[in-house]
Amino acid sequence: MNASMKKYGKIAYDGLITNNATFKLVLGTCATLGMSTSAVNSFGMGLSVTVVLLLSNVIISLLRKAIPNAVRIPAFVVIIATMVTLLRMVLEKYIPDLYDAMGVFLPLIVVNCVILGRAEAFASKQPVLDSAVDGIFTGLGLTCALTLIGIIREFLGSGSFFGMQVMDFKIGFFTNAAGAFFVYGICIALFVFFTDRVDRAKRVKKAQLLRVPAQPLPAVEEEEVN
Amino acid sequence: MTVKAFFKSTAFKSLAVLIAIVLVAGALLAVCNDLLYVSDEERFARSLAKIYGSEVTATEVELTDEERAYQNGSVDAVYYVEEDGNYLFHTTGTGGYGSGGTVTLWTILTCTGSREDGDLALTGIEKVVYDSNSGQTLMANFGDAFYAVFEDADELVAGGGNFSATDAEDGLFNLETGATYTSTAACNAVNTALACFRTVFMGGDA
Repeated sequence: MNASMKKYGKIAYDGLITNNATFKLVLGTCATLGMSTSAVNSFGMGLSVTVVLLLSNVIISLLRKAIPNAVRIPAFVVIIATMVTLLRMVLEKYIPDLYDAMGVFLPLIVVNCVILGRAEAFASKQPVLDSAVDGIFTGLGLTCALTLIGIIREFLGSGSFFGMQVMDFKIGFFTNAAGAFFVYGICIALFVFFTDRVDRAKRVKKAQLLRVPAQPLPAVEEEEVN
Repeated sequence: MTVKAFFKSTAFKSLAVLIAIVLVAGALLAVCNDLLYVSDEERFARSLAKIYGSEVTATEVELTDEERAYQNGSVDAVYYVEEDGNYLFHTTGTGGYGSGGTVTLWTILTCTGSREDGDLALTGIEKVVYDSNSGQTLMANFGDAFYAVFEDADELVAGGGNFSATDAEDGLFNLETGATYTSTAACNAVNTALACFRTVFMGGDA
């Protein structure tokens, strides 16, 4: 594996696992709790954020040398707001059902901490391709997390899976805000538990590789004294 | 600071960059708005397709301002559907959650006879479809089962009755939605359609 592939692999792993926006950094919580009543809505929200992340990261990275440091935040906000407004127009025209389902959470993507956070921490300092990869994988990490929460809440709250009725039961608690917090908390705990175990296993393996096995010292031949 | 120094300063550069970004973003959005604009006709066609599942021909019925306003709601528009001879109402019910909270619904009223002959009679509700709301945070809890209650109440509708979200005696609405105010606004939207039909189309009392 060459160096650049390794670099992109690391960016992708960071976006998906190490710096997972939902489960590790706990960013964009408002949309996570509000939109995760069904798997389809969660998936749609996740993909929308991914598109905005990708476009805003690429544009901010392209303009990083032209934007003065003093006005970087307003400039980022204008760029992100433009991308979100474009996305709104496209969704309203071509996917009206998703547009209706997302409601107030769609314009709220503008103030999603994940997007501004990646713009400030990554895209404003890194080249275009790196920023694009970061945008895609941070967005996919968020999409996976949101969809997982959506699947759990929809299944327990409505007995359905992606809109298909699979069980004849429903627990109203999971469709409410309290249920959203509960599922979110459990997911964070499990995610941190498993990623921590994987990290520990990796560290142990690395330590074992670094450990040099003890070599027997070469025997010193005594000189014969006549 | 001289004029030359100002034009070389970071402040000027910051302003210029921000203005340039805003202008480009504005131009891009203006072009896209023109390309992706959704007209009222397109919105209405989408709503009809959502309600009927197929293309239908609907003619708007003219109403005066007085005929649109009711105690707990208002009639936004009424359409006569050529295919089945029923009336499609777009109504907004008040009394929802929060100050000025409303629920807007599409309601298809089934009837016999014709308005021209003066023998129009209300027989029931064929379908109620959610359209939009103002300030209702629990709208996502309203599933098909909620709207089906209206569709299964032909006797109540034909008998001149109205719907009540809090009328436990009828058992019409359970509280599974957890949203009494929003249920009230939804009931008011349907009741407004019924009131308009009874007074304007049938010439009776609401």
